[in-house]
Amino acid sequence: MDVLVIHLVNALLYASVLFLIAGGLSLIYGVMRIVNMAHGNLYAFGAYVTAWAIGSVAGGAPTVLLLVLLPVGALAAAVLGAVLEPTLLRPFYRRAEEYQLLVTFGLLMILEDLLRFIWGPYPLSASEVFENFGSLTIGDSLYPTYNFLVIGVGIVAAIFLWGVIYKTRFGVVLRATSQNMRMASALGVNVNRVYIQAFTLGCFMAGLGGAIIVPGQSAVLGMGIDAVVLAFIVVVVGGLGSLEGALVGALIVGVVREAGITWFPEIELAVLYLIAAIVLLVRPAGLFGRP
Amino acid sequence: MLELARVDTFRGPAQILRAVSLAVNDGEAVCLVGRNGAGKTTTIDSIMGLLPVRAGTVAFRGRDITRLPAHERALLGIGYAPEDAGIFPDLTVEENFQITSWLARPGEAAAPAADADARIFSLFPEVKSFLGRRGLHLSGGQKKMVAISRAMTLGPSVLLLDEPFEGLAPVVVTRLIEAVKAIKALGVSVLIAESNLVNATRVADRLYAIDRGEIIFHGRPQDVFANEDVMKTVRG
Repeated sequence: MDVLVIHLVNALLYASVLFLIAGGLSLIYGVMRIVNMAHGNLYAFGAYVTAWAIGSVAGGAPTVLLLVLLPVGALAAAVLGAVLEPTLLRPFYRRAEEYQLLVTFGLLMILEDLLRFIWGPYPLSASEVFENFGSLTIGDSLYPTYNFLVIGVGIVAAIFLWGVIYKTRFGVVLRATSQNMRMASALGVNVNRVYIQAFTLGCFMAGLGGAIIVPGQSAVLGMGIDAVVLAFIVVVVGGLGSLEGALVGALIVGVVREAGITWFPEIELAVLYLIAAIVLLVRPAGLFGRP
Repeated sequence: MLELARVDTFRGPAQILRAVSLAVNDGEAVCLVGRNGAGKTTTIDSIMGLLPVRAGTVAFRGRDITRLPAHERALLGIGYAPEDAGIFPDLTVEENFQITSWLARPGEAAAPAADADARIFSLFPEVKSFLGRRGLHLSGGQKKMVAISRAMTLGPSVLLLDEPFEGLAPVVVTRLIEAVKAIKALGVSVLIAESNLVNATRVADRLYAIDRGEIIFHGRPQDVFANEDVMKTVRG
């Protein structure tokens, strides 16, 4: 029973981080119709910045200060997104999708090299936060308390994002722009401003995913590429452009991945791809996507 | 109020408008009539800034707006209701109105759309009864009513209506024609792109006829019936 609870909590942990990444990816696609391949490295950028910030001041610093530094990575990813959207992406909106894929894939590679250039090839750790939180007992087993913080952040982010999209002026304008950009603009909506806000929010979410996971697992090169592959499985299952889809997709992938690691580690990724393939066959737009 | 001077517009490589010139004066209802594909929608899109004008100028209240983006034109006072009504399908009717209400009064707190401007709801009082319905679930006539009311929420000086009567039952067409007259009575100029000449003459003070991207007639509605060439071209 204890083992099952731990597996369930681990699945929620994965799902929380995956939701942050895939939710941002889905938000950006939903509003701007851009499949942002670089999204994974915005997640990695968030992880690196937080690891660097915490690593710079760690060494006996109080946990509260370290926690305050945690979202720095998310803010840095948001700022990076706010710079990238108008400079590198906007010129390609009127071009065919292949160009957008090529540009965002190129950006993924550039960001990977940028991380290597700034922080070098070695992993960056922020484990002090993780250690300061200690462990709690689940049955006979010890379990890291910090993981519950990650799950909590995921839940709060999902509620926050739902609130922003469905309960605010910005959300109404965002949904209108995503449904008919031309009409929104003819009604007085500054679409360029909405795009930059949506992209920044999406990047903030990716950066937040990286920032909260880095104390538990270090920032390493390649983490963004691994993450974006899983995020794409999430959005394929849930439906690209749907926030609910990102949430359900993240939960499915989180549970299947945890089960895979435990019971069938050799084919863990294959099972995830199989699920994505079945969803594509049965419901090509994903569980919550619009055809 | 609104003036186009020798406007050329392209869609991709194809030139659609050729030296189109027209004017809409204060408080006037002007119809642009022509067959499908004649260039009516392209003219409306060029005025709204949804298509770039390759040559010529678009002026609004004496200001050259040829290079202004669509959202700035809307905020300057050009209202727009497209052929397909452009209702946001997943937004409720109330949310559809909120967008323009907020943009028209950016500083104000969120107010129920029904109270936002009673004057606008007086055009189509029935809209109040389906404020909570999503755009997706509206009938063709309801969509047109919402589109016109929504454009009016911004407080425009000129309203562009693209094929507002197309595909509607005669009783709904009459309803919309009455609304256009009421809008005119409010002092708002109206430019209507219309393929049905009879509907156009019911509402217009002046008519322009367009064919293959060129203005081929300009005059009073009663004069168009006397011009056989134009009648033949417009009716096809």
